[in-house]
Amino acid sequence: MPDIDDSQSDARRAGERLVGAHVREDPFAAAFKATRMPMIVTDPNQDDNPIIFCNAAFQRLTGYSNEELLGKNCRLLQGPETSRATVGRIREAVSAGKDISVDILNYKKDGSTFWNALFVSPVRDDDGSIVYFFASQLDFTNIKSKEAELAAARHQAEAEVAERTDDLQESLAARTLLVHEVDHRVKNNLATMASIVKMQVRLTEDEGQRHALLSVLNRIEAISTVQRKLFTTNDVARFDIGDFARELATDLVEAIKRDDIRLTMDVSPVLVPAVKATPLSLIVNELVGDAVRRGLADGGGEIHVVVRRLNGHFLIRVEDTSEPVEPDPVSAELGLRMLEASASQVGATIEKRREGRRTIVDVTLLVENKDTSH
Amino acid sequence: MKVMIVEDEMLLAMELESEVQAAGHEVVGMAVSSSQVPEIVRDSAPQFAFVDIHLQDGPTGIEVGRMLAEKGVPYIFVSGNIKKLPRDFAGALGAMEKPYTMNGMANALAYIDAVVRGEEDRLPPASLVLAEDVTYPSRAAAQ
Repeated sequence: MPDIDDSQSDARRAGERLVGAHVREDPFAAAFKATRMPMIVTDPNQDDNPIIFCNAAFQRLTGYSNEELLGKNCRLLQGPETSRATVGRIREAVSAGKDISVDILNYKKDGSTFWNALFVSPVRDDDGSIVYFFASQLDFTNIKSKEAELAAARHQAEAEVAERTDDLQESLAARTLLVHEVDHRVKNNLATMASIVKMQVRLTEDEGQRHALLSVLNRIEAISTVQRKLFTTNDVARFDIGDFARELATDLVEAIKRDDIRLTMDVSPVLVPAVKATPLSLIVNELVGDAVRRGLADGGGEIHVVVRRLNGHFLIRVEDTSEPVEPDPVSAELGLRMLEASASQVGATIEKRREGRRTIVDVTLLVENKDTSH
Repeated sequence: MKVMIVEDEMLLAMELESEVQAAGHEVVGMAVSSSQVPEIVRDSAPQFAFVDIHLQDGPTGIEVGRMLAEKGVPYIFVSGNIKKLPRDFAGALGAMEKPYTMNGMANALAYIDAVVRGEEDRLPPASLVLAEDVTYPSRAAAQ
């Protein structure tokens, strides 16, 4: 095929002219030839803008020999997966005589592909006419495949996170449902227990028995109130002992229906761990109950309830002013034991003092840090 | 005061009945499911009702409540989970959360009696939750 031979020899001659224009020791030509950056020069003044010069790095990159490359258009590097759009952009830039920098998938002689960061730039003579095109290539296949790996890894991680989140949400919903179900059953059972005791209170004629049953009922109700209030705050692991004390004291005093008992309160919200809710509530219950037993119910008087934080401590104080009466010894002993057991369970100290007609009971305990308690 | 009790737990219903009677009121009807309510309302004209949310035919207490509100029968909910109530409490005066205490119920009854008799300036007891008092902490998590 003489035509091809002709064009190849044209290209070779053009290449020789280009090199010949430079003296032998020209450092630029030497650098062009020796650099590890693959580079070519094409001649747009010949048919089909053939390669007229390529350096050794370009031959190493593409696997083609100098002979195989000279006279060919650069499209011999294209293949089936090469983006037509990218090729179009290069063609437009070349026709317009403009620089272009693109990433393109190219093919080596052996058919393998490489990602080519291609830079093409026209070379103009003194008149401004384009005499050559210069192109440099950079194989960034490694970077590209790392990018793809990263993207794939990210997609996988995202998918796993999404799946895990779904699992967690599902199990949270199941857990919440379970907690509510168990809570509901516990409440129902406590209500049933209280009903049974109340039923027996109504049936019994014996005043002593009635008294004993009501004393049991009183504690069941205190625990029931704890259970009822456990899930009312935003934090299910916390229990507001202040709120409990306020309701207990107001309900008790209101139910006694006595104008001569005056209740005052200094109660602020004090959140305690849910595990301490029952003993602390029993403490409040015993203190308020004891004040009533010791005379308020008979002679009237004043009762003052304090629940508040105090310098890293938390204080429950029940103060009453009344004509003291001798309480029923069994009730008094039960109340005392309940108080002591509950206080010792939560590590609280009890201090009781009398000032004339005033009785003051202070229960103090250390407030835990939120993250160390549970 | 003529009182209706809508509650599917018989033991609790009987106990409530005793407490209502002990406070000097008359229990004119007891229903364990929503279908029994209209008849009691028609035949016995209760002046007040206690309504549990969960009845034998499901969580129909709220419908019962809306019906009572429509007929002008004042009522309160008595339930183990008042967070299940709609925010407007379906027209109820309030709600008592189970398990309630004897004192809590006695105070609520005294308040209700006063309200039904037309006393308006009375403060509700601590045991009675009004619609505006309720925060819904676990509503989002539960759904």
